[in-house]
Amino acid sequence: MVEKIVEETFEALFALEDLREVLRKTVPFHNLTEKQKEEVKAILNKVRKALDEIEEEIK
Amino acid sequence: MSKGTKLEWRAQEELFINLEPLQRGGVLPAESRKIALSYIDGYSTCDHCLGTLHILKKPPICDFLIEVADFLGMDRAILTHGCREAKFAIMHAITNPGQAIVMDENKHYTSYVAAERAGLKIYEVPSTGYPEFKVQPEEYVNTIEKVKRETGELPALVLLTHVDWTYGNLVDAEKVGKICKEYDVPFLLNTAYSSGRMPINGKKMSADFVTCSGHKSWAAGAGVVGILAISDEWADKVFKPSQRYKVKPIEILGCSARGSSALVLMTSFPYVKERVKHWDEEVEKARWFSSQMESLGNVTQLGDKPHNHDLMRFETPVFDRIAQKHKRRGYFLYEELSKRKIVGLKAGKTKSFDLSTYGLTKEQLTYVIESFQDIINKLS
Repeated sequence: MVEKIVEETFEALFALEDLREVLRKTVPFHNLTEKQKEEVKAILNKVRKALDEIEEEIK
Repeated sequence: MSKGTKLEWRAQEELFINLEPLQRGGVLPAESRKIALSYIDGYSTCDHCLGTLHILKKPPICDFLIEVADFLGMDRAILTHGCREAKFAIMHAITNPGQAIVMDENKHYTSYVAAERAGLKIYEVPSTGYPEFKVQPEEYVNTIEKVKRETGELPALVLLTHVDWTYGNLVDAEKVGKICKEYDVPFLLNTAYSSGRMPINGKKMSADFVTCSGHKSWAAGAGVVGILAISDEWADKVFKPSQRYKVKPIEILGCSARGSSALVLMTSFPYVKERVKHWDEEVEKARWFSSQMESLGNVTQLGDKPHNHDLMRFETPVFDRIAQKHKRRGYFLYEELSKRKIVGLKAGKTKSFDLSTYGLTKEQLTYVIESFQDIINKLS
């Protein structure tokens, strides 16, 4: 159980670093292309899924 | 840290175009930030310690250093806490107090301070002065001869700053290396602003030592980290181990960057190997930027022309005139740029300023130029 929580914690943190990368690449106005918007959606889904898994594990 | 001390989080790279010349080559790719997160605790490199850092198999620091030496065209490499520590390690290992060292006038202050700490007598190779401040390789001959005349000996070491931090001038290291070979004096090439950005081959440049800055030019933050690369013939002196602690190199006090900075340097390495292949594009972008800046009027790029590096100094009377009448004096420029989401210039500076275009896109740089123009239109 703990291993799963740790794994998902890193999964979420690493996905957020990918989000940070999108923000870095689009400074200063962050006008995201359609492709980048899709990338951000995929990142957010990854984070949500990881958080859901953690929540499930601690029930 | 005392209870209640709260630091602001930093988002320069997420919110602004950052032109800070110290920082551009040290910006981390996402994969390196991820590894920094997991290795952020103290001594995180040392879970499977084998006695010293540079021989570690897990994480594979030993294999990494072999690859790095090859990448730099040298025989061996070791981690240091930074480029300055690498320079001092060499000076301390191969010279004696009172001996002479030759270095260029455009040197980084740490070269000078390292030589002072090693008790060396410092001789400088003059630059051509304003406005190009070039270090001519041939001038090394004159300075070496001066050392010979004044001390009766050859210098114990010759140091060249491959690219200087002030003007971003690139010196022909191969020529300096050849001169050193002719005089049979050891040659230290400081590549703090070149290796990691552009291809380097120490052997081709006849360098005995190459020193590098991870946090300046190898996309490696999470602390500070450097590389000391040498040719085999110097291994006994520069990598000499302690007599009692046989695996601990004396000059780096046994182990150096034993934490996340080492892991970040390793993780960024594939990215660095790839980016040096595109150095010509960075130079082209820098030259374009320089010409655009000068076309603003009353702006002059100092140093090499055409320029050969992303690091540049501009003399800017156009902004200094505004500062003389502006209520915020010299601070107006920093503040106007910040409003436009641009940072990296030193606050209060308007007579001249330094910046780097490294890793920025042409679109971002176009916006920077337009912003300077906008400020001139608004305030002059």
